[in-house]
Amino acid sequence: MFMDDDFTDDAMSGVASTIQKLEDLLLVTVPRDLMDDQVLSLRREVVKHIRLYNSLWVLLDFSQVDICDSYFGRFIQSMANMVRLTGARVIISGLQDAVIETMVELGMTLPDVRAVLDLDEALAMSRTNGKVDADTSETELAELSFLDSSTFDFFEV
Amino acid sequence: MHKSVGIEGATRILVKRDADIVLVCQRARSLAADLKFSGNDQVALVIAISEIARNIILYAGEGEIFIKTVFDGDTPGICIVARDQGAGISDVSLALQDGYSTGGGLGVGLPGARRLMDEFEIDSKVGQGTTVAMIKWNR
Repeated sequence: MFMDDDFTDDAMSGVASTIQKLEDLLLVTVPRDLMDDQVLSLRREVVKHIRLYNSLWVLLDFSQVDICDSYFGRFIQSMANMVRLTGARVIISGLQDAVIETMVELGMTLPDVRAVLDLDEALAMSRTNGKVDADTSETELAELSFLDSSTFDFFEV
Repeated sequence: MHKSVGIEGATRILVKRDADIVLVCQRARSLAADLKFSGNDQVALVIAISEIARNIILYAGEGEIFIKTVFDGDTPGICIVARDQGAGISDVSLALQDGYSTGGGLGVGLPGARRLMDEFEIDSKVGQGTTVAMIKWNR
């Protein structure tokens, strides 16, 4: 994520263009170089687009990302928490092998976030489980109790 | 810790903003690529540096990171020294535990960096600052 020196305003304005609708999915291509200020705007854009398209699933595509540090892990977690509060669910896909290895090494296993190998699988999953079923919703509600104000303060450093 | 650890002859990079983290990571990665580190080892190195650099910005505001190539016989390695004059860590062994954080993080930064590197040493004095020295060998 930190490899290019292209963190100008252009990269900022490019955030919106990485969000596309695909059936019930909101496909978010996570940029390779995600800077602190972009994280905030990307999260806002995603929530805005969930409303716009009534999306049931948010697919975070990480295939562009080759470095995932704990900051990125917090991004995924906080994005999942925010999305959950809109009633939609987060799926992550396209994690590269080296990224998976370092995430596990860091202890970022993100138990609340579903992961799939690729876009095909994500689409299949959203078609099979179109609506979030009642059982899951109850589990989700129970999980909400873990959310406190600090959840939303992660990036305000 | 290997005898070659230190800041002599190292490249020094000031760390103040997240753009500086990008710079440090770029420098380390290109050095690792020159030394023929595997792709996964390059990523591990960059993540460890990124975690340490973020800690500097988050807890000390600013600091400096030194990067250099070191050798153990014929084996090349990359030595990183990160130094700040921040508040310091009152309980280093606690800070090295998984899941412990005073800054609202995941608590994986320091312990994660230690696991990702081959050698890792932290020296911190309350009120004076923190120095982290670490080496990744290309074995």
